[in-house]
Amino acid sequence: MRWRPDAATPAPGWHRRMIQSLLYGRSVDRARKAQARLGLALIGFALVYAIIAIRLVLYAATADAHMVRRGGSSDAVATARPDVIDRNGEILATDIKTPSLFAEPRRIIDPDEATELLAGVLPDLDSREVRDRLGSKRGFAWLKRDITPVQQQEVHRLGIPGIGFLAENKRVYPNGNEFSHVVGHVNIDNQGIAGIEKWIDSRGLADLHRAGFGVDREQEPVRLGVDLRVQHALHDELVAARDKYKADAAAGIVLDVRTGEIVSMVSVPDYNPNNPREALEPNRINRLTTGVYEMGSTFKALTIAMALDSGKVTLNSSFDARGSLRYGHFNISDYHAQNRVLTVPEIFTYSSNVGAAKIALGQGVENHKAFLNKVGQLDRLRTELPESAEPIVPKHWGELNTVTIAFGHGLSVAPLQSVMGVAAIVNGGYLIPPTFLKRSQAEARAIAKRVVKPETSAAMRYLMRLNAEKGTATKADVKGFYVGGKTGTAEKVINGHYSKSRLMTDFMAVLPADEPRFLVLIMLDEPKPIAETHGFATSGWNAAPVTAKVITRIAPLLGLEPRFDLPSADHLILASMKETR
Amino acid sequence: MMRFVHLIVVAALVAAAVYVYKIKFESAVQAERLAKLATEIKREREAIAALRAEWAQLENPARIQALAQRHLTLKMFDPTQIEQLDRLPERPPTPAAASSDAIATIIDGLEPEFPTGATAGPLPTTPRVAR
Repeated sequence: MRWRPDAATPAPGWHRRMIQSLLYGRSVDRARKAQARLGLALIGFALVYAIIAIRLVLYAATADAHMVRRGGSSDAVATARPDVIDRNGEILATDIKTPSLFAEPRRIIDPDEATELLAGVLPDLDSREVRDRLGSKRGFAWLKRDITPVQQQEVHRLGIPGIGFLAENKRVYPNGNEFSHVVGHVNIDNQGIAGIEKWIDSRGLADLHRAGFGVDREQEPVRLGVDLRVQHALHDELVAARDKYKADAAAGIVLDVRTGEIVSMVSVPDYNPNNPREALEPNRINRLTTGVYEMGSTFKALTIAMALDSGKVTLNSSFDARGSLRYGHFNISDYHAQNRVLTVPEIFTYSSNVGAAKIALGQGVENHKAFLNKVGQLDRLRTELPESAEPIVPKHWGELNTVTIAFGHGLSVAPLQSVMGVAAIVNGGYLIPPTFLKRSQAEARAIAKRVVKPETSAAMRYLMRLNAEKGTATKADVKGFYVGGKTGTAEKVINGHYSKSRLMTDFMAVLPADEPRFLVLIMLDEPKPIAETHGFATSGWNAAPVTAKVITRIAPLLGLEPRFDLPSADHLILASMKETR
Repeated sequence: MMRFVHLIVVAALVAAAVYVYKIKFESAVQAERLAKLATEIKREREAIAALRAEWAQLENPARIQALAQRHLTLKMFDPTQIEQLDRLPERPPTPAAASSDAIATIIDGLEPEFPTGATAGPLPTTPRVAR
């Protein structure tokens, strides 16, 4: 039977009718009103139930995420870091899980007994320190980070209450010393404190970890532009060269001149990033980015490029290089003194200081300064590596400074910086900031800045090649790869004076010189004269042959084909320059 | 009539409850399996990471170079040893007789050393390269 509140209901009594009229008024149809209210109530309840149902569905859908978060809390205190891989996908740094031993001192029943038992299994543990930690009233204390699975098993068997294990991420560097200065290293909490590792953190990984994320392995690996095989070859040769010439240090860079990618960078002595304590020794710094040096004669390449680019000087111009140049109480002389009038190519191949100084003076102090600024030699060069050094620029740049800087003394730059400058003058005139990451040619072109004309660049390539054919760089000429290069020998400043016996030698090689792909810089800090070099310690005797060895090994790895039937520089590069004019 | 409707509704209610319970139970089983698989995947990933790290350590060029220097007689190659394929000389023509009569070629090859008719004893064995 359905309740119908209309005509079918019996008429209520008179007193009810009166109350009704008092409450609602006489004209209101009470039955319809009740129906409307019922409908309202129905909608209300339906809404409440709908909300409950939706919430239930939502809970069911998101329950997974809650469970995973809860499951992940028992491990991973140290940040999970993305892998670092080289340009071919070889691993340079990766995370592995290792157990770490911790204690909850409040739950330890007998600290002395626990200490004794633990000392039996882990003999390298400092028992007094462990006793102190276990005796404290803290809730949590680390006992030993990064133990072996065998040790974990043994400690587990002791069955001490209040002792537990956490699986932690540990950074490992499978290539040891070879990449120490590029990749850098991390601290015990897996936070990057040097090199690319620190750069990864500065990109936001640290914030991610602070917010409680970043503990899983699902992170995109960081792909660098360096090549493991080239890095190994360079490292191997530099270690051998450092031994052979008894140098304090040796360093080398291989740069792709078309993209600005650093294919390889080694500075020995280096350290093993798996044992970062070694990195604290000051002798193990990265000389290529954190050290600044007077680069010596390799700077003549920039001087001559500036002169040729100005249009005032051509390859046929000649300068008087007779005798030595007196400037105040300074006397500038040539190492390979010719004592005659030299043409520009001769100044380059005989590495004439007097000639280079006269070329620079002809351009004027302001132009010289402006040009060096344009090719990035006067500002701090910043790359992905957090470590960088500011060049030491003379405060009052007078004519004397221009004279000395023309042949690479009196201005100290980071070697990487000079590589960038020379790359710009051989690659067709584009200054491309170097990078450790992978970069395509199109990306490089977008950020490149033209600093010299293409003709100047071709002329410089000619000079570099000529120098390897009949100049100071003949020992670096590897048959088949058309190497061009420039030697550089700088006297080190000892107690405010240039020392004749303590030298810094470097060699800048471009390969192949007709169509440059790579620039190789090899640097030796204080090489000693040995029997094989007939008592010489200048660049042509040590840095140049090392460069030749390095090129022989790395050129095939870099995909360069040897070509044995190329004509000399006069015919190949010079002739093509004349054609384009 | 109403009683019949009530009965159907109650029956439907019980059926729904049983069905929901069944789904709930199954979902719990599935969730457990999921969690187990997730842990397993995680463990496998960690194992892969550890193996990859070990692999990288094993194929490190410095290690391979040290091993090669100790156990092999290989030398560093020279750029002159690389040549482009299209610049290789033609393969020398193979001697036609080689395939037709093997014994005849052996005899031909031996001729200068052992003139025919002069050999009475057994042929001296050719020295073999020790392997």
